[in-house]
Amino acid sequence: MTDDDFALSRRTFLDRVLLASAGVGMSAAAPWAARAAEDIAKGPRVRIGVIGTGDRGRTLIQNLNKTRNCTVAALCDNFEPHMTKARAYVPTNTPIYTDHRKMLESKQIDAVVIATPLDLHARHTMDALDAGYPVFCEKAMARTIADCGAMVTRARARGKILQIGHQRLFNPTYLNALKRAQAGEIGPITQIRASWHRNRSWRRQIPPGGTEREINWRLYRDRSAGLMTELATHQLQVANWFMGGLPTRVMGSGSICFWKDGRDVYDQVALIYDYSDGRKVIYTSMLNNARYGCEEQIQGSKGTIEPELGRIYQEVQPGAVPALARMRADVQAGRKNTVPIGGATWFPELPVTTPGDSLGWGEYDETMLQFEGFGEAVRSGREVPGLLAQAYHASVASLLGEQAIDQGKALAWPTDLVTF
Amino acid sequence: MTEMEASVARFAAMGTRVELHLFGCDDPAALAAARAAIHSVEDALTIHRPSPATALNDALSRGRSTVVEDRLLFGALLQVDALWRETGGLFDPSLGSWSSLTIDPASRQVLTDRPLTFDFGGFGKGHGLDHAVTALRAMGVTSALLSAGESSIAVLGQHPLGGGWPLAVPHPEDEGAWLVELELQGASLSISSTIGTGASKPGRAAMIRPTDGAIVTTPATAVAAAATGAEAEALSTALLVADPAARERLRATAPDYRFLFPHAAPVGAERALEPTA
Repeated sequence: MTDDDFALSRRTFLDRVLLASAGVGMSAAAPWAARAAEDIAKGPRVRIGVIGTGDRGRTLIQNLNKTRNCTVAALCDNFEPHMTKARAYVPTNTPIYTDHRKMLESKQIDAVVIATPLDLHARHTMDALDAGYPVFCEKAMARTIADCGAMVTRARARGKILQIGHQRLFNPTYLNALKRAQAGEIGPITQIRASWHRNRSWRRQIPPGGTEREINWRLYRDRSAGLMTELATHQLQVANWFMGGLPTRVMGSGSICFWKDGRDVYDQVALIYDYSDGRKVIYTSMLNNARYGCEEQIQGSKGTIEPELGRIYQEVQPGAVPALARMRADVQAGRKNTVPIGGATWFPELPVTTPGDSLGWGEYDETMLQFEGFGEAVRSGREVPGLLAQAYHASVASLLGEQAIDQGKALAWPTDLVTF
Repeated sequence: MTEMEASVARFAAMGTRVELHLFGCDDPAALAAARAAIHSVEDALTIHRPSPATALNDALSRGRSTVVEDRLLFGALLQVDALWRETGGLFDPSLGSWSSLTIDPASRQVLTDRPLTFDFGGFGKGHGLDHAVTALRAMGVTSALLSAGESSIAVLGQHPLGGGWPLAVPHPEDEGAWLVELELQGASLSISSTIGTGASKPGRAAMIRPTDGAIVTTPATAVAAAATGAEAEALSTALLVADPAARERLRATAPDYRFLFPHAAPVGAERALEPTA
């Protein structure tokens, strides 16, 4: 198989998810994967009402359309240009709403997908749960740690499924990486360096009828924690997952360093998350240099995994000095030959020059797969195991990081969180 | 185990690869002791992580005096001090500031009259091999060859087949050709070069002449053999950076063990080897 082999059948994709999630310890580390890749039960499709039809919402609609067990049955958005674009992906008779409460009251749906700005996640989730619907909400969970916990508590109180979108949890490359890490291939993981570096402002053109705060909500603190909730959340989830635990504390620094355009969220952040036994996650994100892009460098004593690149690297061990090997052989054979040795000091190869090995399986259908898992959860009334805890802790980590930056001090992991 | 069988250790240390080949000795403790000795020297002299050397640098960079508690570091300082004098200041891990240092062996106090820092560099490899040789002798080893990055080599005792160890320094550009062949017994060899595979690797520090701060880029290889690795390292470094007059003074003391090979002709050009400079 080559790295460029993205044209895989759906069945092959699912087989790989199953294969990747079948290793020793994987049922505990990724209990959702095998469940989500199981065959879909026969029966009517789950009717989904989508709240929020911006760029992300439309991506989710397209993925819902690929599933075998879900169908988009209603759309809701109060911004007409977005709704117009979204309607192109659904049948023309699909009901549309400008008020999510009306959609919830219509009783023409079985579950709700939420892709609204971050500050609205909690309200929309609560309303949907209170109306009796299972909810799939985009990450991050909410604008505050308290709201993240309240969403979990409300879902439990209502006995409804709450699932948060973290597609890497379903990505076969990540699952395979975790499997190989758990098998000890890179030794004990002691540090993860994660980064998401982009070179664009993140600012969007405001279409006619739009407002700055509605379109560019990611740039304002009352609506979003910016880089922390929109980007870091993904990678902090990966970090917790591979570390097999939660941070003990976080410290960080942030600034509006380059895009001084009226935004009030940081355009550059750098954080250190401490984990047990001195392990660390070092996180950086910025918006004016894309050289190092998006990656998690998962580092153990024997090697490194870079799942975004799909590579696994073994630590470079010095090779034997050929002249000295010959010397030993000569001596063993009773020959005393001259030993040619000496020159500028031997230097190890720099790690960046080593190509590493492919982790394989780089195709991307995981967003579809997590929706199929959600659909089956809705049908059975049983949540996909493990997902909500991963999402909750990732959101808490990102929001705690924001607080640590704002307060300029190290903050301990909260002790009053919802337990799983 | 016969005299001709070797036990071997290979490991990374001091930023390079180290190999220890012991003949006629299969005691794992001997290899372990030598390895530990090298790591101890590295721990004391490294400037790439917190160490006694970085603590000393921290004080001296502020122009402050300090007492050096670490035995290995203080021993290295005394040895460097002697070699700085022997080479007329051409070997100087402080890059030209050693003359401002005062070292009091009794109190172990180090004083400076101006801010300075050390980078022991290649000296650390030679010094580390010296400590390894001492450890091996204490374990009863009588025949061994030790290499640190192939630029620092120490031989302990006789070759397992008797007599000295025949070593040849390869030409850095002309595969199969040798610059010089030496037969050593209970001695150390150091090679310093501005060219060759190792010299061109990213991250290599420039070779600097301490007496005037000039970066030495002239293609050349210096070879020095001496009783200890520390001395061999100091001499090969000094030979490489010395001007012609100073180089001749250094060579005059032991012309059969100190060499400078210029590689002035273009790479691949026909030219005779120049065994002495």
